[in-house]
Amino acid sequence: MVIEEEKKFISLINEHQGLIHKVCIMYENDPDVRNDLFQEIVLQLWKSFSSFRGEAKITTWMYRIALNTAISGFRKQTRHVKTEDLKELHMNISDAWAEDREEDIQRLHFAIRQLSEIERAMIMMALEEVPYEEIAETIGITQNNVRVRMNRIREKLKKLMSN
Amino acid sequence: MELEELKSIWKNSEPLFQPKGETEIANMLKGKSISIVEKLKKNVWFELIFTIVVSIGLLVYALLLTSGAAKWLSISFILMCLAYTIVYVKKLIFLNRFNPANENIRANLVSLIEKVSSYLKFYKRSYTILYPVYFCLGLLFAGIERGADAFFENLMKPRTMLLLTALAGLFFFLSTKAANWYLKKLYGNHLEKLKSLLSDIHG
Repeated sequence: MVIEEEKKFISLINEHQGLIHKVCIMYENDPDVRNDLFQEIVLQLWKSFSSFRGEAKITTWMYRIALNTAISGFRKQTRHVKTEDLKELHMNISDAWAEDREEDIQRLHFAIRQLSEIERAMIMMALEEVPYEEIAETIGITQNNVRVRMNRIREKLKKLMSN
Repeated sequence: MELEELKSIWKNSEPLFQPKGETEIANMLKGKSISIVEKLKKNVWFELIFTIVVSIGLLVYALLLTSGAAKWLSISFILMCLAYTIVYVKKLIFLNRFNPANENIRANLVSLIEKVSSYLKFYKRSYTILYPVYFCLGLLFAGIERGADAFFENLMKPRTMLLLTALAGLFFFLSTKAANWYLKKLYGNHLEKLKSLLSDIHG
């Protein structure tokens, strides 16, 4: 029974690991710490797996736990992203990413990393097409509040990306 | 820049991550958590074991002593350790049931702030209350052992009063310093970080 449950869980993580990777990339610059964060998120998901009854969408549940773990985790303080980090990120992604939009992509990632941790969570879900209702539910604020905050975040990103 | 435009950039930026294999994921399940709740649990376990070891040591020591201030002080200390053991066990049961990651981010932060604050408060109270209490208990047992008259006669001497005040001050200063150093080492600025995250949500 436990083995069956474990198999089911592993296949679920395998299927949705992109979501966890994205959260890790949003919150950690250092690849080793990012790897630790990935493992921590998987552990927290596993811990909560038995209590997941399918009332929410699986991705909503995963976002909630992954973001909670990344935001409130007891890790080394995340340093602010510097241009060198951006170059490093650029080096890692340049091979796979479309050449023509590379600059926009770099600027977007750089700008997102300048936002607060809560804002990062909100914009990431919004960019992943998570409905405002689910963003509100995950963060614990009202949908109206999400709308207001998203407008502010968009303005911030606009400024950061144009600099 | 509109959100739709950002979404289209984001979609093109699917980062190339190294996918984890099923075996790697399975191994992760056997790993140790580094969450703050796990850290709290680890610390409580350490303190529980330390308290039990100290209690046993004191019990052995008290049994070897003949009646006197040191014996009664040891016994009172053992009783206090027992009370602490109960508190630690209750804390562990509570922490084992605690799974804030299931809540939304705001509720999780509120919960964590409450838990870490109460943990820190418990320590600070222990250090600020227990040390003076033990200092006074030490004096009381010494008084009982020497006899009230001789004790008060000695206590009234300016030299003794000065020495005791200096000792009490040093005792309190060192214990508070030690407690603050220990708490800072354990949790650093994590509580401040959690509070600032919550205030960011309230926006």
